[in-house]
Amino acid sequence: MNKLLTEFSDEELIKEYQDNNTPEAYDILVKRYKDPLMNFVYRFVGDRDICTDVVQDTMIKFYLNKDSYRSFAKFSTWIYTIAGNLAKNELKRRRRRIIFSIDNGDDERSPQIEDKMFLAPDKAADGEIRNEIIQNALLKVKPVYREVVILRDIQDLSYEEISEITGLAIGTVKSRINRGRAQLQKLLKHIYRE
Amino acid sequence: MKKIYNEEENKFSKMLKDLKDLPKIKAPDNFEYNLSTRIQNKNFGTVNEREPQFNWIKFLAPSAAVVSVIILFFIFLPSSQENNNQLLQQTKLQNDQSAVNNSLSEKNKLNSQQSVPSDTKLQSNSTSLLGSNNTTARPRALSPLNDSRSIKLDDYISGSNKNQSNTNRGNIVNNGEEPSPYDGFVVSEKPDKKTLDRYRAVVDSIKKAQLKADSLKKVQK
Repeated sequence: MNKLLTEFSDEELIKEYQDNNTPEAYDILVKRYKDPLMNFVYRFVGDRDICTDVVQDTMIKFYLNKDSYRSFAKFSTWIYTIAGNLAKNELKRRRRRIIFSIDNGDDERSPQIEDKMFLAPDKAADGEIRNEIIQNALLKVKPVYREVVILRDIQDLSYEEISEITGLAIGTVKSRINRGRAQLQKLLKHIYRE
Repeated sequence: MKKIYNEEENKFSKMLKDLKDLPKIKAPDNFEYNLSTRIQNKNFGTVNEREPQFNWIKFLAPSAAVVSVIILFFIFLPSSQENNNQLLQQTKLQNDQSAVNNSLSEKNKLNSQQSVPSDTKLQSNSTSLLGSNNTTARPRALSPLNDSRSIKLDDYISGSNKNQSNTNRGNIVNNGEEPSPYDGFVVSEKPDKKTLDRYRAVVDSIKKAQLKADSLKKVQK
């Protein structure tokens, strides 16, 4: 039975879970999506611990609200929508906390890698530092653009899927991706000099 | 349209390659274990909490209370204003009366100046002065301190003001919030007998002088 389930598509698995409340179907879906969601949320939020909590909450929301999924939608877009909304809420909560915290308001807001943005290009070429710089630049892009850029350029989702996840028209998705890329390129101009 | 987006992608090609090559973040090893324990213990945290929706009743109840308080405030406010107005009307009347009295005394003055020769002007001035003295004594009689709008301390202490109604007392208290148009107290002082006699003697002497003046005029004619 388990072997058969692993061969199921996402939509078949969620249907199995909805109809027969099969816990194995839920486990398989969690296994399939925990890493892609972790990557998406981490790139969006920029904190590993918060990212783990958000993905856990996503899976719990999926567990509690399995019946709210409708079969005409793709499971991936449904779960990405949940994760995206929770990540956005977390960002809002953090922003509020930063505003109201008197002690370490500015320290929290400025990323620690800020100084590395001004490293020499040869040093910036170093893989790990480069990735860190890109990640920090990504966090500086406006959240509305950041989300679509991550979904398109890091998660490799199609425009249609992104449109479904974000609830935006495809044209809007494309323009937002473009603006997000332009913002990112501007932030990383010291790396991508022409 | 596709061309434009392809061109844009070419513009960012290096950056897009780097974004795709970013290391994939993986869930921690205990992720599934933690998740299953949370589900078993039903430790769902804030996930199941829905954001509070806008509730009309919750919004209307306090706003209705506030509106009713404002309405009540406006209902009861005019009564105190009326009380204030009464006081003001009273003082206005008094002012008008004093103005009329002043104008009458001025008219009298003019008449006396026209009729009385220059050497008797001094005397008439003194009478007018006396007349003005009489008018200055008037405010005591037309005191703005109405019994119904003030508390007599002696009566209050002795307890003889029990007949005063509660509304009257309330009005007095209400008026206490407004600044009084009078700066000081009106002291009711009994006149001294000696000073009275002195003033009477002065008035008599003036009257005698006037009689003499009249008789002299007649002789001259």
